[in-house]
Amino acid sequence: MTAVIAASHLSKWYGNVLGLNDVSLEIEEGITGLLGPNGAGKSTFMKLITGQMKPAIGSVTIRGRKAWNDPDVYQGIGFCPEQDVFYEDVTGWELVTGLLRFYGYSRTEIRERAARALDVVDLTADKDRLIRGYSRGMRQRVKFAQTIAHDPDILILDEPLSGLDPLGKRKLIKLIKDFKKQGRTVLVSSHVLPEIEALTSQIVLIHQGKILAQGDVPFIRELIEAHPHQISVRSSDPRALAARFVGERSIQKMTFGADGRTLVVETHKRDAFFSRLTGVVLEAGIAVEEISSPDDNLQAVFEYLVGK
Amino acid sequence: MTGANAVRQVFGFFSFLGRKTGKTRVFAILGLIPVALAVIVRIVLHGRSGLMAAVFTEVLMVFFLQFYIVILALFYGTSVTAEEIENRTLTYLITRPIPKPAIILGKATAYAVLMFAMVGVSLALSFFIMNAARLSDPDLYATFFRYLGVLGLGILAYTAFFTFLGTVLKRAIIVGMVFGFGWENVIQYFPGSTQKLSIVHYLKSLLPYHPPSVGGGGGRGVALLLFRLEPTTPLAAILILAAVTAGLLALACWLFRVKEYLYED
Repeated sequence: MTAVIAASHLSKWYGNVLGLNDVSLEIEEGITGLLGPNGAGKSTFMKLITGQMKPAIGSVTIRGRKAWNDPDVYQGIGFCPEQDVFYEDVTGWELVTGLLRFYGYSRTEIRERAARALDVVDLTADKDRLIRGYSRGMRQRVKFAQTIAHDPDILILDEPLSGLDPLGKRKLIKLIKDFKKQGRTVLVSSHVLPEIEALTSQIVLIHQGKILAQGDVPFIRELIEAHPHQISVRSSDPRALAARFVGERSIQKMTFGADGRTLVVETHKRDAFFSRLTGVVLEAGIAVEEISSPDDNLQAVFEYLVGK
Repeated sequence: MTGANAVRQVFGFFSFLGRKTGKTRVFAILGLIPVALAVIVRIVLHGRSGLMAAVFTEVLMVFFLQFYIVILALFYGTSVTAEEIENRTLTYLITRPIPKPAIILGKATAYAVLMFAMVGVSLALSFFIMNAARLSDPDLYATFFRYLGVLGLGILAYTAFFTFLGTVLKRAIIVGMVFGFGWENVIQYFPGSTQKLSIVHYLKSLLPYHPPSVGGGGGRGVALLLFRLEPTTPLAAILILAAVTAGLLALACWLFRVKEYLYED
């Protein structure tokens, strides 16, 4: 299959700060998730794809055409920026119709497309309200409406789910999946793994401007599983609890918290630990007050992968 | 989309957007100052025409030429690029299938038309109120249109200059103020060819002028305000203003096309 988006040895600096470092990547039709913590280089990569930035080294092409300064390329791209910024003095309708002017449509077509896009994001009833009066979720939805209004082949979505309520998220996820069914290409970024997981099985892990890993969800999960997890258990008797786990091969390390009530366990097999914990607690009659995972976040996984 | 069509679409978008901003409301109110002044002068003059009306008409022109169009062009011109970067809305424009120069040309033209409308309304009201006793005099209308034309050329030249400045500098408004209210105000009174390095010199060269020694007639008490040393001929002044406008806009378009604009994080 031909790559829709191709980056070759792509690097970008902001002064002395490295935004993207020697990224070579091919993105094909379907949904690809760009996963990484804040500041990983996701937005930089998306800005390079959408021609907002010029590569310092390397190249990025959309269907074989360079993205920088080629307006024809942008005809088929819909970009949803991360920033919550708008022309605040206009209504949702005025924004979407105004931006549709730049595609050469007739007035009738502009109105039809804007109405359709606003309807898709459930903003028809509020289309005549000023954007400055919109809630965060509505602002996110109108941003998505202007992304899809011209019916693009390629959607570049920078953190599109942030600021949406659970219902809004579910609806947008369904919408993005519908785009995939229509044979389009979607590149979506997020720093939240479950969000990306809900959208696609194809994931690109990015961190500190580098592509750490690329593959499907099981592969990424495997990487994450290999990461030793910290689990903190606050209970009535942490030492008795620790004694029960000493023989467990899945446990790598155990320490006690300063409060004298917390046991911090480090394990490679989180699921195995949790199923054993339930039995131990019941057998020993230990009262568990709280279970938490201090490093159960993407940042910790990335740090582990980088350290690896 | 062709370049001309793209310019037209950007023009339409920003004509609409420009009318809705708070900035436009503030500057439109500022344009009422000469109108209020004209009303006061008319009341004081008790309907008489002649000397004082001519004097105050020149005072009005000083306001328009050396303050109103400069401040309008400064804020609208620099904002062609700068406000898009500051508000981070540039993303919405440069990811569209339109050539980047069309953004500059369309937006600058939209703002120039908006400024011209504000200046035109303000000038028309204040001028005709001030000269209400001469409304049947055809010369009055010739003078009005000449003033209006000069201010129009001024708007174009200053807008081009400040648009260019906005594409080059991050804090263009400060440099623009120094230019508009410092350099332009001082350099025009320098003898020799130095004064030709200001835009206002060419604008003043197009205005009707009666030196104090000639006739000793109306308005001479403020002649210093519209003082002209070694004026350029009208044709040369128009050509130079047109060249300045076209050259600076072309430079701004080129820069905007090749330059990468990053938001401050």
